[in-house]
Amino acid sequence: MQLTDIFARSRFVFLDGGMGTQLTARGLQPGQKPELAALTMPETLTAIHRDYARAGAEILCANTFGANPRKLAGTGCTVDRVVAASIACARAAADETGALVALDVGPLGELLAPAGTLAFEDAVDQFAQVVEVGVKAGADLVFLETMTDLYELKAALLAVREHSRLPVFASMSFESRGRTFTGCTVDSFAATAVGLGADAVGINCSLGPAEILPFIRRLCRLVPAGMPVFVKPNAGLPNPDGSYDLTPADFAREMEAYLSTGISMAGGCCGTTPESIRLLKQAFAGRSPAQKVPLRRSVLCTPVRCVEVDGITVVGERINPTGKKRLQQALREGDTAYPCAQAVSQAEAGAQVLDVNVGLPGIDEPAVLEHLVRELQSVTDLPLQLDSSNPQALARALRVYNGKPIVNSVNGEQKTLDAILPLCKKYGAAVVGLTLDENGIPPTADGRLAVARRIVAAAEEYGIPRQDIYIDCLTLTASAQQDAAAETLKALSACKRELGVRTVLGVSNISFGLPCRGYLNAAFLTMAMQAGLDLAILNPNTPDMMGAVRAFRVLTCRDEKSADYIRAYADVQIQTTQTSKTAASAPETRPAGENALADAVRRGLKAEARAAAGEALAHTEPLDLVNQVLIPALDQVGDGFEKGTIFLPQLLQSASAAQAAFEVVKAAIAASGRQGASRGRIVIATVKGDVHDIGKNIVRVILENYGYDVVDLGRDVPPEAVVQAVRETGAPLVGLSALMTTTVPSMQATIKALHDADLPCRVMVGGAVLTPDFARQIGADFYARDAKASADIAKQVFAALKA
Amino acid sequence: MELTLPPQLDTGTALRYLGAAGWTPDDGTARLLAGAESALRAAATPRGVWRRLPLSALPLAGAGRDLARHLQGCTGLVLMAVTLGSGADAALRRLCLQDVALGAVADAVASVLLEQVCDGFEAEIRAAVAAQGLHMTGRYSPGYGDCPLALQQELCLALDTVRGIGLCLTPEYLMTPRKSVTAILGTADHPVTGAKAGCATCALRGDCAYRKRGTTCATD
Repeated sequence: MQLTDIFARSRFVFLDGGMGTQLTARGLQPGQKPELAALTMPETLTAIHRDYARAGAEILCANTFGANPRKLAGTGCTVDRVVAASIACARAAADETGALVALDVGPLGELLAPAGTLAFEDAVDQFAQVVEVGVKAGADLVFLETMTDLYELKAALLAVREHSRLPVFASMSFESRGRTFTGCTVDSFAATAVGLGADAVGINCSLGPAEILPFIRRLCRLVPAGMPVFVKPNAGLPNPDGSYDLTPADFAREMEAYLSTGISMAGGCCGTTPESIRLLKQAFAGRSPAQKVPLRRSVLCTPVRCVEVDGITVVGERINPTGKKRLQQALREGDTAYPCAQAVSQAEAGAQVLDVNVGLPGIDEPAVLEHLVRELQSVTDLPLQLDSSNPQALARALRVYNGKPIVNSVNGEQKTLDAILPLCKKYGAAVVGLTLDENGIPPTADGRLAVARRIVAAAEEYGIPRQDIYIDCLTLTASAQQDAAAETLKALSACKRELGVRTVLGVSNISFGLPCRGYLNAAFLTMAMQAGLDLAILNPNTPDMMGAVRAFRVLTCRDEKSADYIRAYADVQIQTTQTSKTAASAPETRPAGENALADAVRRGLKAEARAAAGEALAHTEPLDLVNQVLIPALDQVGDGFEKGTIFLPQLLQSASAAQAAFEVVKAAIAASGRQGASRGRIVIATVKGDVHDIGKNIVRVILENYGYDVVDLGRDVPPEAVVQAVRETGAPLVGLSALMTTTVPSMQATIKALHDADLPCRVMVGGAVLTPDFARQIGADFYARDAKASADIAKQVFAALKA
Repeated sequence: MELTLPPQLDTGTALRYLGAAGWTPDDGTARLLAGAESALRAAATPRGVWRRLPLSALPLAGAGRDLARHLQGCTGLVLMAVTLGSGADAALRRLCLQDVALGAVADAVASVLLEQVCDGFEAEIRAAVAAQGLHMTGRYSPGYGDCPLALQQELCLALDTVRGIGLCLTPEYLMTPRKSVTAILGTADHPVTGAKAGCATCALRGDCAYRKRGTTCATD
């Protein structure tokens, strides 16, 4: 058996069957670790491998599934020792038949952040340790299997790619609904694993042959024709006593359905035996793998959502600080909640992809972009367009991105092509190519087509397939170059027709410098869609733009029975009365103003509070509005809560309404460029190891409503990060939360770190398992029973500072 | 295995978790409860796993007096684990960002739905156990009373929750996905009721709002 046999796909290659179930059948006791079989029962392990090899398995997976640092902790055995011994057992059996030996790698058994607390790079490191030992021990290939988290699979694939030159197989386990436990789809698995350089992909475990079949059919359509696909199902479904419901003969019979799917390798997983593999080989005898017919699609994805770019696709443009003072302020202050909220609202408005740009003078773009990508993917399932020309920033963001993103952008300059295309290739990203180069933007369509041609050639040279290339023919401003609009559209059509690439345009630039920009934007967008635009970068919160997109989908039969259009607009009334410019800026009725705002906050009405704040700002200074209206209203609600006449849900609705009003105030202050309304800075965090952050989030909103500048470090925050934030901001007050008894020690460690660093800050703590006594014991200055109490403590601390 | 969400949310318990036991929610709160419930129904993928095992399957010697009391007279164990899945966690993060009031209500609603799923699953298990002529206690989870949270490690290994339902532990023994429950039940050939941890060993004993009102969290 040669590695080349796998990739020639000219004959079926047979894999082995279940290992854990075989070990149990041959004497592994409950409570005994299967990972250590090579040390505790090497003869039995070798015998299992030998039986599989003799049954016809040509690739033997060594018993290294759980041989990672985390699972071996406390066993007294090192990864080195276990991996080397396990591979030796498989090798001893393989030598007899010439089979290959795979370093088998399973999940680490811990969820990665944000679902859990394991950091992405820590996961990469753990896998890298295993891979390095596997290489040393002489594995022929690496077999990543039973993965259910796409992010973990990415960490493992990177570890293999960066620490070995061995071929790597990638296999995930799906539930009967066609998703993994973490919601990953077969489509997202294929797009991501292929992009990250897996040499073969497959599905194993969890289900039997009949249940996996439709997913394998799908997988075979999603990967390139030359890429081997494999399957290792369980012997049917498990019985309550732990056995499986298919006999080896049943298993082999059900596997025959795979002959026509396009797979070229097959074996078994839990419950299958050497006899299953022998009969499987018999059933496949004389047959060869079917041709695969790949769907050549352009896709972008996150684990749970795979967006096929086929027809007009909306990219939300709101997370870009250019011309947006409020976002600039948030990015400078390290406030990710604001852009994250923008992401959620764009998704609700109909965005399918989100552009993310953090380019601001004086900002550490690589660090900020990486951090924001992490935060965004914890709250949105839309794919991201990583918008930067800084290769370091792109490298870091691409590395932590979970799925297949698109990079915006390269251009025709050889220097940028050489800096950015290798990153896109390594991380499996699609790429936007701007039709400009060192000589500027070619004025004619032909000139831009020529640049596009160069970009496509360069991308393909780096191994990026054509369906992952998106050409931007550049929207110029109509007020400056009126004839350029037609040229842009001409170039767009030519690129699609002659190069077979996808196209992208930032639409809004067309109207810069002209009044009523919405009219021009919508008209240009419609013309561009007609010319074949695929990705439209626009503000989805503008009704006109989404209206044009939805109408276009109806008129080009992409929205079947106008269902989406009707869903979006069935309840919408469009005002037809023409409003003159003066009337719009000076409404006849006097704004309802401050009383309305206080009332809306007390009653917890968010939309009303937002509107009332806007109206009140017309005649009230922002700071006065906060101090004389918002805070007294909140105090009143807070008093009611303390007396027991107002319940927590009501308090929270008031807080939420006040937050909406405060956002209007902040935007007004940011736009005016004046000093903020801050009463002082407070750093808050949920401590290291803890992921329960609902209490901390409530505290944040309440403190912000009282006018404090809150630096929210998030959850699972290490002590060093808290110390650093306090040092940088000079915050005199820190709030820490922990929910579990096991994470209170890290709260104590954080307080100690703050004291050791000699920072003159006070610390308040809160969380379900804390009491005033306990808070004192761990060195806190204040115990905050609830969010209202944290605002009272803040008031006390900042008043003392002034005194 | 796949479990189903209860047809109806136990709103009363949700309000209790929100510190508003017995209150008739106002319109705004009713809207939040309904919004949270529908978001979670769309996002949750409830899964459960259980096994009947001998008492020796867990290191009960170091697991505290409360659990020992719970298992008094029992001759075997039933271990169970239930999760609402990582989709529910993601939905909670998103809702909290949209609106903190909605986020907090959704957190409580998720806990109640989880509890209700557990009740249904336990009833199923109880029937299966009864069919074998055995009696079973109620659920007891690591972290109650003086039972160490570290027992989660053995419990999850014994059930292979990672492969079975995608439930993992962090190094601090927190369960992820967050909205998950593990439980220990005792079996015997005679009727057994088990024993709740009670207030005696509760960490919050000194500062408990329920106790100040003369009730407990189990009875309020």
